[in-house]
Amino acid sequence: MPMGHTATAQAGSGGLTATEHRLANGLRVVLSEDHLTPVAAVCLWYDVGSRHEVKGRTGLAHLFEHLMFQGSAQVKGNGHFELVQGAGGSLNGTTSFERTNYFETMPTHQLELALWLEADRMGSLLAALDDESMENQRDVVKNERRQRYDNVPYGTAFEKLTALAYPEGHPYHHTPIGSMADLDAATLEDARAFFRTYYAPNNAVLSVVGDIDPEQTLAWVEKYFGSIPGHDGKPAPRDGALPETIGEQLREVVEEDVPARALMAAYRLPHDGTRACDAADLALTVLGGGESSRLYNRLVRRDRTAVAAGFGLLRLAGAPSLGWLDVKTSGDVEVPVIETAIDEELARFAEEGPTPEEMERAQAQLEREWLDRLGTVAGRADELCRYAVLFGDPQLALTAVQRVLEITAEEVQEVAKARLRPDNRAVLVYEPVADETAEDTGTTDATAAAADENEEAAK
Amino acid sequence: MTELATMDFHPRPQAGDARPWAFPAPERGTLDNGLTVLRCHRPGQQVVAVEVLLDAPLEAEPAGLDGVATIMARAFSEGTDKHSAEDFAAELERAGATLDAHADHPGVRLSLEVPASRLTKGLGLIADALRAPAFADSEVERLVNNRLDEIPHELANPSRRGAKELSKELFPADARMSRPRQGSEETVAAIDSAAVRAFYEKHVRPATATVVVVGDLTGIDLDALLGDTLGAWTGSSAEPRPVPPVTADDTGRVVIVDRPGAVQTQLLIGRIGPDRHDRVWPAQVLGTYCLGGTLTSRLDRVLREEKGYTYGVRAFGQVLRSAPDGTGAAMLAISGSVDTPNTGPALQDLWTVLRTLAAEGLTDAERDVAVQNLVGVAPLKYETAAAVASTLADQVEQHLPDDYQATLYRQLAATGTVEATAAAVSAFPVDRLVTVLVGDAAQIKAPVEALGIGEVTVVAAE
Repeated sequence: MPMGHTATAQAGSGGLTATEHRLANGLRVVLSEDHLTPVAAVCLWYDVGSRHEVKGRTGLAHLFEHLMFQGSAQVKGNGHFELVQGAGGSLNGTTSFERTNYFETMPTHQLELALWLEADRMGSLLAALDDESMENQRDVVKNERRQRYDNVPYGTAFEKLTALAYPEGHPYHHTPIGSMADLDAATLEDARAFFRTYYAPNNAVLSVVGDIDPEQTLAWVEKYFGSIPGHDGKPAPRDGALPETIGEQLREVVEEDVPARALMAAYRLPHDGTRACDAADLALTVLGGGESSRLYNRLVRRDRTAVAAGFGLLRLAGAPSLGWLDVKTSGDVEVPVIETAIDEELARFAEEGPTPEEMERAQAQLEREWLDRLGTVAGRADELCRYAVLFGDPQLALTAVQRVLEITAEEVQEVAKARLRPDNRAVLVYEPVADETAEDTGTTDATAAAADENEEAAK
Repeated sequence: MTELATMDFHPRPQAGDARPWAFPAPERGTLDNGLTVLRCHRPGQQVVAVEVLLDAPLEAEPAGLDGVATIMARAFSEGTDKHSAEDFAAELERAGATLDAHADHPGVRLSLEVPASRLTKGLGLIADALRAPAFADSEVERLVNNRLDEIPHELANPSRRGAKELSKELFPADARMSRPRQGSEETVAAIDSAAVRAFYEKHVRPATATVVVVGDLTGIDLDALLGDTLGAWTGSSAEPRPVPPVTADDTGRVVIVDRPGAVQTQLLIGRIGPDRHDRVWPAQVLGTYCLGGTLTSRLDRVLREEKGYTYGVRAFGQVLRSAPDGTGAAMLAISGSVDTPNTGPALQDLWTVLRTLAAEGLTDAERDVAVQNLVGVAPLKYETAAAVASTLADQVEQHLPDDYQATLYRQLAATGTVEATAAAVSAFPVDRLVTVLVGDAAQIKAPVEALGIGEVTVVAAE
């Protein structure tokens, strides 16, 4: 079953290795050994996300993810949670635009249980799925939406920016949480059809990372997953292709009961998996990462017009990635003052490119983020699945940091010049109103988390 | 109608043999300048975590200057005798490091994370920050204004707004704990660089500080490295500050922070109780977990998985401040948010869960699952250097022995159902809970009054 990749470390992988296997039913399996701590991470990515949803059923992929925790043929009710936690494990599931993932981190000696549980729901969810679960989890998800987006100030900013940046009808026009109306409209039959269409071994990648015996692990995977029939017939998601730039500046002004004015913007950037995307990541880090970035230095330190200013990157493989700017103003400062300063900084950066010190700083920051991601077995398992599902090669996860370090200053300047332009952005402006009936209250960084819906409430 | 699956089913597998794991024991030492050092080698952890604890608690802040400890903590990364504020931030980030600093009731804490290959640089910067902070007028003024800008954002956040109100309700008006940790608009506005420097000179010195270093230290001469960096920090000797006891009024009552139009009600229901010095702590941890530690605990079984009123409600115990003599306290609380129309029914169910717990107790099965989870997750929870460093630092900050966490796991495993029940019931007595609700008073006040869980008052959000 091994497919040619050996467990020999590649250059730039920090000594990490992974092997790849495929079951007869099409399930791809990635294994990576690490015996430092007696734990093992199981991660299962299904190649389905909110981009596969159809009009009128936004939020279905995420609602369905909740239903995956409501029992299957051999697992009663909340048994999945109870058994994993009772075994000393931790678990969750999340839904994004491009995938749905489920994961358990277990003490080594309980690994087999996690594999049994994942196989049971992959093969037999519909034996347990009923109206009661559906109605209950619909209410839970609606409360998740209220808690994370509707009841916090700026909470729906990411949803609004996404809707601006990706046109009506585009598969990424809506975010994974979906609309209240669509959550209300989803039926049990929709959920069943969703499972039958997308939850199949040949539409998934399973990774197991940590203190494992690869042969034994593979035997367990074969035993529990091997008899689940694969099936085809999954429709391709709607085409996410778009021109490289938006071609005009889109703009929406929101008047709400928020504590301060805010300027947010989404820039259309290169697809994930390309050198240009890594270059864009570095550009955004130089401009808006941490507390020594160009925008932070200009707006927060020198002009003192903002309380916070930064850039984030939402990497996407099936559509252009999104560079997201978030600035909250200080005191009575007006938005045009901020906007002018940002335009100046972006134009100067496109003209000059990064300095060697800025490149060093940005690369060091991204390198540390990668060390953090790969420093836990769960993080490594997730990245192996990501590269397997989105790019067809899990080994790319282990060398990702090396690729970021190889990007040149010229490439960073090039992507900044081409993409970080006023005619390639959707702008969202918040103007506070003291209207008692307006949406209410929250965190200033709700946007970052909005691309990933979680099963369990934050602790 | 359900449908049959076509796969082969196998019985649920049994666990294999557990591999032993123990919470790591740190090595303890002292530098010539009196700085206490805890170190712990964690193979494979390439990002090293460094925690520095300063004996500069919030109750040491001068009257009228609430927030000065916070501004000082932030000002540590705003320049030194060697670097301007911008240069300092750039140098840190060039080392791939992050540095967070915050002030809380027990003291000020700096948390550095840096790749092992750049530990020298990271420790050098944090040492400079502690040894010779610039506290430039202009930077402190900027931090003060920045802090003032943050306050409206916090007041608009339902969960932070709720926490602020609960502190005000629980603690005596003259106690520092009754007021916001990071100060109010009036007190923050009164802070300048002279106030920050005075606070620093009075409370920050190596003799009363501790540094914790955790990570893969292979090939690193930590003694030499510490000697060259934090070892160069000097200061007078001083006795540790006495820790005042914590008192609170937990008379059962309800405060609604009015947010007209809110689609959810944020709940924060709390009181104070024993900290880790008390023998009941392991049983309290266990009982609190059974009550509301996770999605399958008693509260979420009803409020989320049966009724769908919430995305999740949690019960927790969080140490506020501990003292060597055991007079410290922990905040014991239940928090979450429920949709506005179901606020009354959700609280009714919550109280029913508490009453049923008191009347019938926990089951052995619940206790067993909780122990297996709390003890079993330890190797997962402490996989990273940062998690280990943070717990070691908590132990120091709470005047606990270095082997406290390791001992706690043994105690949890030995705690029975009866003890866990008793601890949970004493932690959350139905008539001694202060309930803060951040929500739409016009819609929730009457249903909450009807529950009879205490007198209901309404306050404005701002």
